[in-house]
Amino acid sequence: MQGPMFRSAVLVALMIPVVNAATPLETQKARHEHYEELGKAFKAVRDQMNASSPDFGALQKNAEVINEASVNQQQWFPKGTGPEAGKTRALPEIWSKPSDFEAAQKMLADRAPKLLAAVKTKDIDAVKAAFKDTGGACKNCHDTFRSPEE
Amino acid sequence: MTDAALPVSRARIRVWDVPTRLVHWLVVLLVAFSWWTAENGRMEWHRWSGYTVLGLVIFRIYWGIAGSSTARFREFVRGPRATVGYLKGSWAAAPGHNPLGALSVIALLALLAAQVVLGLFAVDVDGIESGPLSTYVSFEAGRAAAGWHESVFNVLTAFIALHVVAVGYYVVVRKQALVAAMVHGKRAYPEPLPQPVRPASFARLLIGVVLAAGCTWMVARAFQFG
Repeated sequence: MQGPMFRSAVLVALMIPVVNAATPLETQKARHEHYEELGKAFKAVRDQMNASSPDFGALQKNAEVINEASVNQQQWFPKGTGPEAGKTRALPEIWSKPSDFEAAQKMLADRAPKLLAAVKTKDIDAVKAAFKDTGGACKNCHDTFRSPEE
Repeated sequence: MTDAALPVSRARIRVWDVPTRLVHWLVVLLVAFSWWTAENGRMEWHRWSGYTVLGLVIFRIYWGIAGSSTARFREFVRGPRATVGYLKGSWAAAPGHNPLGALSVIALLALLAAQVVLGLFAVDVDGIESGPLSTYVSFEAGRAAAGWHESVFNVLTAFIALHVVAVGYYVVVRKQALVAAMVHGKRAYPEPLPQPVRPASFARLLIGVVLAAGCTWMVARAFQFG
């Protein structure tokens, strides 16, 4: 049981997470793309809000994207993917004040389902109100944890 | 001091009508306000400010075609020969823009128009704030418009600075009260007095206001009326 085969197997098993894990730069790039998708979804919702006859199918599709991202984003900030790893607007406070950051992320996770619920009622005024709340959660976090645009 | 002490008797005549002056100073205020609201993330106000600038630009272009004499492009936009002639000093002082001032008006108006149009299509990085016409373009195109909106603002700022410096030169070095004239509309000229501004009728003003407000309203609604 302690032969070279076993040791090799252990070594390979230990390496799997290392091989699978993205580099910090890859994580930053993926994070950027995730948030870009989120931005597109927000624009799509806003476009429908301003349309004279909103497409509730499109609204639901994009509200679901936002809803999923609101949960998934809690995995998008592993340690070591801040400014020390590469060019990013993510501020070091994300990692130095983890409980504050968690609360800020939770605000979106709390509000995004309400946007989806409002979309399902097909009441565009309710959608507008929920959109404003959800956007407010984005802004709340960005004000503290994202550096201003250059 | 008596009149006899003056080498030439001078009198004030009206050069700029009220709409031209009002547009000028409202643009000054709103460009500053737009900058402030953008810097401070007051995007609701920023949009309102931009709509107002849009209305003013539309009105000013209309006024350049149908407005008072000194506001009309045909009256003040000159070719290169006249501009060079002006620089060499062979230009009879007449009420209205000189050929260089004309270039300044055209450049600033064009930049302002470009800036407002780009803002109409701009989308912020989060897809939350956007100009009304961004609904017709992709997120990427809206982001590009936002990038250009920022670049053109820098160019506009440079031209405003140039405009202010040039006006400062005329006021300080050449003793021409240009700023005061843009405030109260009058300037002093030596006798024999040149023709003052020929104002446009109230009906034309009304048409311009309705046109500018109507176009702006439609753009702000993104042409969606339901």
